[in-house]
Amino acid sequence: MTLFLHICQWLAGTAVGTGIRESDNLFSVIETVHVLGIIFTAGTIAIVDLRILGLLLNRYSVEEILRPLVKITWLGFSVMASTGILLFWSEADKLYFNLSFRVKLTLLLTAGINQWIFQRTHKREMAVWGAVVVPLWRAKLAAALSLGLWLGIIVLGRAIAYQ
Amino acid sequence: MSLLEACKWLEASWLGTAIRESKWGFALIEMVHLLALALLGGALLITGLRVWGFLFKEQRPGAITRDLGWLLVGSFAAMLVSGILLFADGPLRYFGNAAFRVKLLLIVGAATTGLLTHLLGVRGQIGQSASTVMKAMALLSCTLWLGAGIAGRVIGVL
Repeated sequence: MTLFLHICQWLAGTAVGTGIRESDNLFSVIETVHVLGIIFTAGTIAIVDLRILGLLLNRYSVEEILRPLVKITWLGFSVMASTGILLFWSEADKLYFNLSFRVKLTLLLTAGINQWIFQRTHKREMAVWGAVVVPLWRAKLAAALSLGLWLGIIVLGRAIAYQ
Repeated sequence: MSLLEACKWLEASWLGTAIRESKWGFALIEMVHLLALALLGGALLITGLRVWGFLFKEQRPGAITRDLGWLLVGSFAAMLVSGILLFADGPLRYFGNAAFRVKLLLIVGAATTGLLTHLLGVRGQIGQSASTVMKAMALLSCTLWLGAGIAGRVIGVL
């Protein structure tokens, strides 16, 4: 889509895009926040997924773990999205052609859809997922998929710079 | 053998050479380092939150560390091993990098305060909230870990 390419080229040429790209430290700072933000997004998601898979914190119910972490995950995600948008903004014209970046976005979208389906399917049963009642195989599959997707997202995020 | 000589030896060793000359070796190891960071960070976040009373209040403060034990130890081990391999790519370069040296110090500090926090809490009562000392130490530990993460990023800039 050449329209999209033109939009990306325009974005990169704006004052904001150019400012970030040409500054001495701004890009590095935004990128550092983006990388460390992984802990608060993928890190928290991974812990909940591992619990659903029955691999850790089995003494506690899934709900008990999810409730305090979900707020952190959302906070982390908004930081990741903001810093990610700024990083993209500064190099939109190059990232348009970057395969790692495109696949990363696709995986992010997939992870979001996976999460949405999971919520809709299991919202009511989640309340009883404790040490005795274990999540259904479908829920575990979603959790395993989630882990795999986020692994891919992180790996591809790093791979962007290698192209 | 001095530290500098050890670095020179490592740089010339088969390990250092293999990593330096492999096309994807360094990138792959870096990715493992990043993935382990996500897991270690998540695990540490939860232990910190427990000490501060934001979750699992009905358990002993030290119990969470035990429950997350394998994840904490495993992800830290993965960071250590991948970190050593990354270091082997250019020991002399890192040896001279101020951010790298600061990072090592921060890691030692963070791990020590973290361990102390755990030792303080391991004998607490169920449902008891952590003492102010424990909370302060947990906060210090998390801050030092965050500092180590930032220093790691600064390595590439210096």
